[in-house]
Formats: sequence, C-alpha cells, structure tokens
Amino acid sequence: MSAAVVAERPQVVSHVQQALSYTVFDCKWVPRSARLLCLGSAARGTGIIQLYELYGARLELLREIEKPKPIKCGTFGATSLQQRYLATGDFDGNLNIWNLEAPEIPVYSVKGHKEIINSIDGVGGLGIGEGAPEIVTGSRDGTVKVWDPRQNDTPVANMEPIQGESKRDCWTVAFGNAYNQEERVVCAGYDNGDIKLFDLKTMSLRWATNIKNGVCSVEFDRKDINMNKLVATSLEGKFHVFDMRTQHPTKGFAFVSEKAQKSTIWQVRHLPQNRDIFMTSGGSGSLHLWKYEYPAQRSKKDSEGSEMGVAGSLCLLQNVTLSTQPISSLDWSPDKKGLCVCGAFDQTLRVLIVTKLNKI
Amino acid sequence: MPVWLREHSWRQTLTAVYLSLPLRGARATPANIFCSEQYLKVSIPPFLFEAILYAPIDDTNSSAKIGNGNIFFTLYKKEPAMWDSLTLANADKEKLQYLRERAVLKAHEKAKEETEAKKITKQEHKKYALEATMKLEEAERKRIEDLKEKERQKVAKELELWKNQQKNGDKYKSIQKKGEIHQEIEPLKEKKSEKINKTQIPNEGASKTRLKSTKGCLGSCSIFSQNLKEEQLPAPRAAATIKVNFTPRVFPTALRESRVAEEEEWLHKQAEARRIINSDLSELEDLKEEEKNPDWLKDKGNKMFAMGDYLGAVNAYNLAVRLNNKLPLLYLNRAACHLKLRNLHKAIEDSSKALELLTPPVPDNESARVKAHVRRGTAFCQLELYTEGLQDYEAALKIDPRNKNIEKDAEKIRHLIQGTMQSS
Repeated sequence: MSAAVVAERPQVVSHVQQALSYTVFDCKWVPRSARLLCLGSAARGTGIIQLYELYGARLELLREIEKPKPIKCGTFGATSLQQRYLATGDFDGNLNIWNLEAPEIPVYSVKGHKEIINSIDGVGGLGIGEGAPEIVTGSRDGTVKVWDPRQNDTPVANMEPIQGESKRDCWTVAFGNAYNQEERVVCAGYDNGDIKLFDLKTMSLRWATNIKNGVCSVEFDRKDINMNKLVATSLEGKFHVFDMRTQHPTKGFAFVSEKAQKSTIWQVRHLPQNRDIFMTSGGSGSLHLWKYEYPAQRSKKDSEGSEMGVAGSLCLLQNVTLSTQPISSLDWSPDKKGLCVCGAFDQTLRVLIVTKLNKI
Repeated sequence: MPVWLREHSWRQTLTAVYLSLPLRGARATPANIFCSEQYLKVSIPPFLFEAILYAPIDDTNSSAKIGNGNIFFTLYKKEPAMWDSLTLANADKEKLQYLRERAVLKAHEKAKEETEAKKITKQEHKKYALEATMKLEEAERKRIEDLKEKERQKVAKELELWKNQQKNGDKYKSIQKKGEIHQEIEPLKEKKSEKINKTQIPNEGASKTRLKSTKGCLGSCSIFSQNLKEEQLPAPRAAATIKVNFTPRVFPTALRESRVAEEEEWLHKQAEARRIINSDLSELEDLKEEEKNPDWLKDKGNKMFAMGDYLGAVNAYNLAVRLNNKLPLLYLNRAACHLKLRNLHKAIEDSSKALELLTPPVPDNESARVKAHVRRGTAFCQLELYTEGLQDYEAALKIDPRNKNIEKDAEKIRHLIQGTMQSS
C-alpha cells in the first residue's frame, strides 16, 4: 500500500480496547459527553449496564448497574438532553426507562412483549425533531409496539400479526420521517426477509417488501427529516439502500444492493454529521465504511407516467477487520465527528476514531 | 595397449617444476588430465602418460596449459627442494598400483569436499538473501505503522481538546445562565412589588415557580425551556392497532438465500410422501396388510402371468405401482402383460418407463434393460413400426451381444424392412 493511498482514505484507528467480563449486546454514547454505556448479559443470567468515561487512551468505569434480566438493547432517542434517561429492552420483554443517577427504580416500566425485545428506537428527544417523544420496540413475538412514556401500560400503536397467522420474529425497528408533529413512520425488519413501513399518522401499512434474507438491521439516514434513505442489512452479507423520496404505486422504492461480506451484516449506523456516510459491521468482525452517491436525477417517469425513484451508487471508503467474532453493536458519537464505539461477541469494547471524514 | 608418451622434458626451480609434454597430434581437454599429490596422468586414448612424482606437489595450485600440440604443466612443490629426477626411480608395479589407487581415492575425496563446500556457500547465500528481503519488508511495514501511529496520536490529541472544550463549555454555559437568571429575577421582583395589590395569580404563580426553581441546582435552569416545550408537545397518540400479514414461510428459522434450494427440495419430498399416504388411505382400508406391500403384489402378479391370467396380473401391478412408482420391475412385467393382451401402446409406455427408471446403465440391470428393449421392440413391430422396433432390438443386442434369439429377430425385422422398401 503506497503512502499516498494511506494518506487519502479515511482510516479507522483503534483508540481504546476494553475487555469486558460479560456479553455485550449494545453500546451507546451518552449524548453531550465523553461517556458511553454498555448493555449486556452476565454469565449468571443477569443484565449489566456499565457506564464508562473516556480519559485519554483508556476507559474508566464510572458505574456498574445490575438488573435481574439480561438487557438486549437501549436508546437515548426519546429523552430530553437534560434528563438523558436510558430506555432499555430486555430478554423478558420488559421495556424500562432508567434515570442513571438513580437506577434502582425505573422511571417507566412495562412488560411490553411476551418474548425478548430484539430492538428498540426512540424519537422526539435530544432536541432533535418535533413531536411527542416515543419509543418503538420490536420483539420475537412478532409484534412491534410504539410507547409514549407519558402513557402507562398500553402502547400507542401495536403492529401485530393477524389472529391465527403464524408469527415471524421482528429483528429490528427504526423511526423515520418525523419532520413535524404529526408525521412519523416506523420501519420493521423480520427474520423472513420482510421489511414493513408503518405510517403512524394514518395508522396503516405504507409499504412492504421482502429482501429474501432475514433483516438484521434497518436505519433511516435521519429520523427528523422527510424520509430520504433507508438502509436495510441482512444475512448472507447483503444490504440494500432504498431511496425513500419517491414511492411507486406497485414497485415501491428504488434500491441499490451490495454484497459486502460472506457473513451476516449485523448493524448499520449512519454518521450523525453526514447522512450519506454509514458504517456496516459484519459477522466476520469487520467494519465497512460506505458512501452513498446520489444519481443525477433522483426520480424519473416510467412508461405509465407515474414517478419512480432512481437509486444511486455505493462507494466503499474503507474496511478493517477488528475481531474474529461478530461486531454486534455500533454507535457513532453525536458530538465528535468520527468517534465511534463498537461491541463484539469476543467480549471486547472498542472505541474507534475514523479520520479524514471532513475531506469526503 | 596404450601408447606411452615418453618424450617429455622438464626443468625445475626450488619451488616449482615445469613439465612439457608433447602430444603427437592428439587433442587434449582438461578431462584427460588427472593429477593428485604425487601422481600425474594424461590419458588421451590411445596415448598414455603417467608419472609418479619424486615428491608431493600442491595439486590445487598447480596448473596445466594445453596448446600448441603440447601440455605445459606448472607444478608447485610442497617442500622446496631440488628433485633428483621427475619421477621416482625403482618404482615397482605394486607400488605404482598402490600409489595410483591412493591418488584416485584422494581425488574422490577432494571432489566430495568441494561439492560440500559449494552447497554450504549456496545455503548461506540464500539465507543472506532471505534476511535482506525480510529486512526490507520490515522497514516498509514499520514505515506504514509509523504513519498510522502519527495519525492515532493526532486524533487522540484532538479528542482530548474536544473533551476539555466540552467541560469548559458546560461550565461557561451554566455560569452564563446563572447570570441571566439573576438579571431576569430583578425585573420580576420589581413587577411583583408593583402588582402586589392586583390578584394576578397566574403571574405570581409563574414567578413563584421561577424563583423556586432558581434556588435549585444550576442544571435546572433549563427547566424553563423544558416547561415551555412540554406545553407545546402533542398529547399521546390515540392507541390503535395495525394488523400485519407476513410473507409465508414454513420453517421457523430465518430466511437465507443460500438455503432456499435445500428447503424447497425437502418440502417437495414431504409433499410427495404425504400425497402417497393420503391417496392410499382412502381406498385401501379394506385391503389386507400384505396386499399393501408392493413386492408381495409383484410376486402375485408374476404368478398370475405364469398361469395366463393377464388381466389379473395387470391389476396387481397397477396397485403395486400406486404404492411405489419407483420400481422398474413392476413396469417391466406390466409391459409383458400388455404385450400378451395386445395393448401395444401401453406396452411401449411401460417399457419406456421401466427404461427411464433403470437409468444408471450398470451391469446389474443389464438383463432388465435387455428385456425392456426387447418388449418395446416387439410392440413396435406388431404396430408395424419396424424401424423403431429394429432400433430397440439393436440396443438390446448392444447390451447383450450373445443372445441368439435377439439376433435372429433382428435379422427378420431387417428383411421385413428391406422387403417393404423394395415393394414401395
């Protein structure tokens, strides 16, 4: 590799590595700080929340909280910047919102699902976007439920299978299109390859498709704008980028797909400071940094005169292999561009810095 | 008998002997010269020259120059001394022999040592080359590592800076806010004193809460904005349910493209098995246990065929086929029945099906295939499709060339064909 190539492409620099004594399922930056949270499951079957602070080249453990059930996922998306409450979903189907200053009793708690909550997302908090703060959870029992922290016990929206139909596991959920107080959509990915887009304003199914492989992770490039792009990653090393600006009545949304690795792509995360750059993490312990390039024209008319979207192209900026085990969780810091944390199944937490993102 | 070369001339110094040997027209190459410490031989068949030297010489440094029809030897003595003569006198045959042999042995050893030495030097050269390349690669790697390290340090510094900024920023913000609040409170207090007589409860209430909150910690200064925002937040959504339909999938595992083919096959086989069981269940309840066994039915059919009850045999075979349609013998035997019954088309169908099932053409199913071909051939001929019939007979002959009956029949058919061709 010549020096010139090294100098131009963004580099993924491993800043800190922290060995953990439990399986880490999710890691999140605490907004407006250099602190991060790890959520996981200890060997004795209890849930662990650990709060670390980044000091120079090391992470210092500030606090460790143990809960009776293992914790699968968490989000800060629905809290205010001052409160910074953490919403978690655990293996038992409980949704809890914790005040980390006083974590003994949750601020909000509900047994939302009958089985493990696989994925959680929050919208309306952190000073981003408008509208009520809401949390959506997707579970193995096939349902996707939207919760409002001001309303106890019942969800404000429930997407469940028709009576008598067999259910499929919901593996991932994401909020999007929350650009004003009324509009909001929830996108859910299932293990049989279904992706469904629910519109919460009209309480209906807006779009559904099947990408032929179980969907591991979906994310909109921004939650608080008119929906622009949706990335869905799946098993077998494939992911699809859908252009969400133009919906065709029969063909749905235009997409471009890429087969990046031989193994499952576990997560996709967009860079908070640039919505066209995202990172995918794979089952082979590798991270790929991608850039989406828009086509010359984002929509065109088809033979019947209805508008059809045009998908752009993808460019691989960098890839790096950090571990032999899958990297199951990934989070960009919303405050420092290029700083990210990832947790892998080899019980290691890594803080990475991606350089030269300004020049892209 | 070799021709001895004796016309040599020599002279010596203290350290060296110079020997000149004329070659009578013969051409010499280095291979013809053999020299050891005390023995010198030049052999150019049929010429031969040998000499047992007076004293040992240093044969590695000595040299021989070939040219101008003679060989010029420069032999360096081991011990500087003047020799009385070139060769040893009174050298009897045995001594000569002994010396020769020793010389040869010595030469061999020397040759061995030389090859050894060469090998060792070669290895050392290789090692050296390897080490050199490794060093180069190391240097390259180190260079890249250094670049990366520099990047890392730069980035770490930036991170520290950012962190400090964050901390300072927070402090400043809180100090600023505090200042602002104090400023706000001053006019409020004035307003309050003015309106003390008016019952403007909302204002008072509001200002009271504001005062209260400022007594709290610095962080709560933003409760102002929080309260305002909360008033602007919409009420919780009206609860509703959306019913969802999933793309149907039989297996409880996740969908993977690479497994789809396997899954399809499995489902197909399951469906087949179920179909057979289902189709049998309805009609075969009144049959005895043995009658559900295709082999037993086949035997029954064979017996009936032998007795001449061709229709009964066909029935038995039909039932057997319904239970298991993958046994070629059933079709084969049914074809024979149909032939006897003169259901020629059915016979052809059955023999074709049998042949299909006998697809790996191995020696084991030779006889079965021969029978199938013969039966089909017979059926064709009886339908007067002689060319097709001949094809089948020839196929049968190919499998089993020694069968006389088939040959005879094939001949007959050929004649028939030629006959019809001539007549038409």
